[in-house]
Amino acid sequence: MIEFLSGAVTLGFLVGAVFFARFWRRTNDRLFLAFSIAFVLLALNQALAWYIGDADERVGYTFMLRVLGFVLILIAVIDKNLSKA
Amino acid sequence: MASDDADFTDEFCRFLQDAVPGVDAAELLLLLQRESARAWSAREAAAALAPGVTLSEAEAGRHLEGFRVRGLVVAEADGRLRYEPAAEPLAQHARTLDKVYRERPVTLIRVIYGLRDKKIRSFADAFKLRRK
Amino acid sequence: MHTVTFVLTSLAALTSAGCMLLLFRAYARTGLRLLLWSALCFVFLTANNVLLFFDLVVFPGPEIDLRVYRLAANLAAVLFLLYGFIWEAE
Repeated sequence: MIEFLSGAVTLGFLVGAVFFARFWRRTNDRLFLAFSIAFVLLALNQALAWYIGDADERVGYTFMLRVLGFVLILIAVIDKNLSKA
Repeated sequence: MASDDADFTDEFCRFLQDAVPGVDAAELLLLLQRESARAWSAREAAAALAPGVTLSEAEAGRHLEGFRVRGLVVAEADGRLRYEPAAEPLAQHARTLDKVYRERPVTLIRVIYGLRDKKIRSFADAFKLRRK
Repeated sequence: MHTVTFVLTSLAALTSAGCMLLLFRAYARTGLRLLLWSALCFVFLTANNVLLFFDLVVFPGPEIDLRVYRLAANLAAVLFLLYGFIWEAE
């Protein structure tokens, strides 16, 4: 059951990334590109967590993918505020 | 700015947002309005717009159906559609569309796409720290 | 290493919390439901990040494993986001 949900979440993040990519194409706003990549990273994080599984994912560095995703979002938000407002 | 423009009233913008999902749709509606004497099929309309506008028959069909649902065109017995607005406000909006298309096409294009993506842009705008 | 983990997971949690607040603020201002669903998505992304912080920094041992709760949070986040994008984005 957990594997199933883990796979569903991975796919969900990827679909979210696709939506953000569409929004980026439509509005040309870099923020959406950053969100799209960030969500791909979240998907990768989820997939790796499942793959590594019982071999404790927390000891490894898979969580770094997640952190990287949010750092990317942070950079994008900062960029948005510095370049226009 | 488009909102200061006298032709782009709130009602007209609502009409655009609802009935005209893109510039191709606008061209299609204008074509039907120009040649309101005859009825069009999706394929004929798409062909008539080319080469200036590339619209697939399927897309043209979708736009035409959207116009029909909103009372801008009526279906004839053979399935072709003819421009015949169901109410005067619709006809007025269509005339306004024709006018701004001829006089201020760039503004019209910007308004159409700006309206379409309003919700998405609001997501991006949420991350602006300072109020506009 | 522990400090790096502390800093990084805190950063992730703060960033997602910030996004959540900005989206809620924008929703309060505009009433656009797309923003509500997005904000709710970030509520659960933040919950996940906070749980990650606890999992890695506060309870680093193997006895306490918050993975299931993190998965649940991610699931909720994804569901809210996709619901919002599919029904409210146009």
